[in-house]
Amino acid sequence: MNVILKNIQKSFGHNHVLKGIDLGVENGEVVTILGPSGSGKTTLLRCINMLEYPDSGTITIDGLTVDATRPHKKNTLRLRQKTAMVFQLYNLFSHKTALENITEGPIVVQKIPKKQAIEKGEQLLDLVGLSDKASHYPHQLSGGQQQRVGIARALALNPEVILFDEPTSALDPELVGEVLVVMKKVAREGITMIVVTHEMSFARDIANRVIFMENGVIVEQNSPGEIFTNAKEERTRAFLKRITPEYAYEI
Amino acid sequence: MAFDFPFMVEALFKLMLKIPISLEITFVSLIFGFLIGVAVALIRIYRVKILCRPADFYVSVIRGTPMLLHVYTVYLGIPLMFDALAKYAGWSARSKDIPTIAFIFIALSVNSGAYMSETVRSGILAVQKGEIEAGYSVGMTTMQVLRRIVLPQALVVCLPNLCNSIVSLLHGSALASFIGVSEITNTANMLAGDNWKFFESFVAAAILYWGCAIVIEQIMGYLERKMARRCGAPGVPASSAA
Ligand SMILES: Nc1ncnc2c1ncn2[C@@H]1O[C@H](COP(=O)(O)OP(=O)(O)OP(=O)(O)O)[C@@H](O)[C@H]1O
Ligand SMILES: [Mg+2]
Repeated sequence: MNVILKNIQKSFGHNHVLKGIDLGVENGEVVTILGPSGSGKTTLLRCINMLEYPDSGTITIDGLTVDATRPHKKNTLRLRQKTAMVFQLYNLFSHKTALENITEGPIVVQKIPKKQAIEKGEQLLDLVGLSDKASHYPHQLSGGQQQRVGIARALALNPEVILFDEPTSALDPELVGEVLVVMKKVAREGITMIVVTHEMSFARDIANRVIFMENGVIVEQNSPGEIFTNAKEERTRAFLKRITPEYAYEI
Repeated sequence: MAFDFPFMVEALFKLMLKIPISLEITFVSLIFGFLIGVAVALIRIYRVKILCRPADFYVSVIRGTPMLLHVYTVYLGIPLMFDALAKYAGWSARSKDIPTIAFIFIALSVNSGAYMSETVRSGILAVQKGEIEAGYSVGMTTMQVLRRIVLPQALVVCLPNLCNSIVSLLHGSALASFIGVSEITNTANMLAGDNWKFFESFVAAAILYWGCAIVIEQIMGYLERKMARRCGAPGVPASSAA
């Protein structure tokens, strides 16, 4: 197991958002998390890299176990260095070029020699189909291009797991495809991915496992084939039915 | 009494020699004021324990009192403190050994630090929260995020206000004349008194200040345009539109 979450609890004030999440993700596995708005998907992802501190529970990534009740600054940092995140609103560093966005982590955090980092950055730009945009600033790129840089930035860190939070939901529909293509490529490279998305085509075709979350608990999880045709829980079926029009579209 | 134009020109050339001192006061205070401003802004934004109350107090007091009083207070107060300290620690140095210009450096740095902390603070707050989180997500420490992500962007946002601060400091440097530093205004005062040509002397001084201010504004304007071209509009969230 590459990522193990045990009994993750998180409240915002009186709002109990995560009610004891247990989750294990294998090396190279692609897990998709579905669930209605407000069910705690974003919060869960943010707890994994401690952008949000869980109230309790443990997080284990690549053998490093961190107890959320007593988070140590050094452990938080080490945990973050084993993960990478792709954000809904891309969150590229706006004062840095596409290439600099990608090399920033390797150079500053991992202390990789600049020349080597740039070489790797250029390869990654090529992988996401943006070799010609290396010296563009984020505001000179389309949303889809920015998100592809965001994915390259995550890949550059060689993380144990990449966390995707609705990476395509801020995009104009005609730009969604280009980002999904890149994500599929990443999945095929055997990189561990945890993806919150409403893109049913991704969940269905790429994911190894689909998790349905509601009200801060994991209601059901299974292979995409099973969950889309044969969900056990009524709540899962109801949710899938609600989003079925979109989903029918995708196929 | 007619305006003595030739005297004014003569004064202009004499005062010109004092431009370096006025600019020295301006830029030394700018540098220290900026460092104070960044430190105070960070202390107040992160509400650093113990320090943040004094920082609030500092900003409030300095912004609420005239600059001239800061100059006098520093000029009169620091020697007292210095001598007391020297006596206590057994130094041989005495406050009269401190060059007068040091007092104006201190007074103006302390003064502009309070104003610049507000400028820097608004610059820092304009940085997108998402970019800061992205910094953390790639594994940066708080210091690395500050140095690599926050401050460079905050600086760009601050630049127009910083330009105002520099010009204010330039004007503030004239207060040095009150404690006898021989800069532009002090020298203009001497010329005026010695020759009974007050108006001509001060017009000459004004022209020089104005000239310096224009040059400063031009340089800052150039920097602003250059930075803005690079960064687009910082503080504006990245949109999904091309
Ligand atoms: N920083 C915060 N402070 C207070 N409440 C928060 C915070 N972040 C999230 N919440 C609350 O936690 C709950 C879960 O939010 P979360 O963003 O995790 O849901 P989500 O499943 O990602 O929803 P969506 O599909 O809309 O993105 C919501 O009720 C939200 O209001
Ligand atoms: Mg969300």
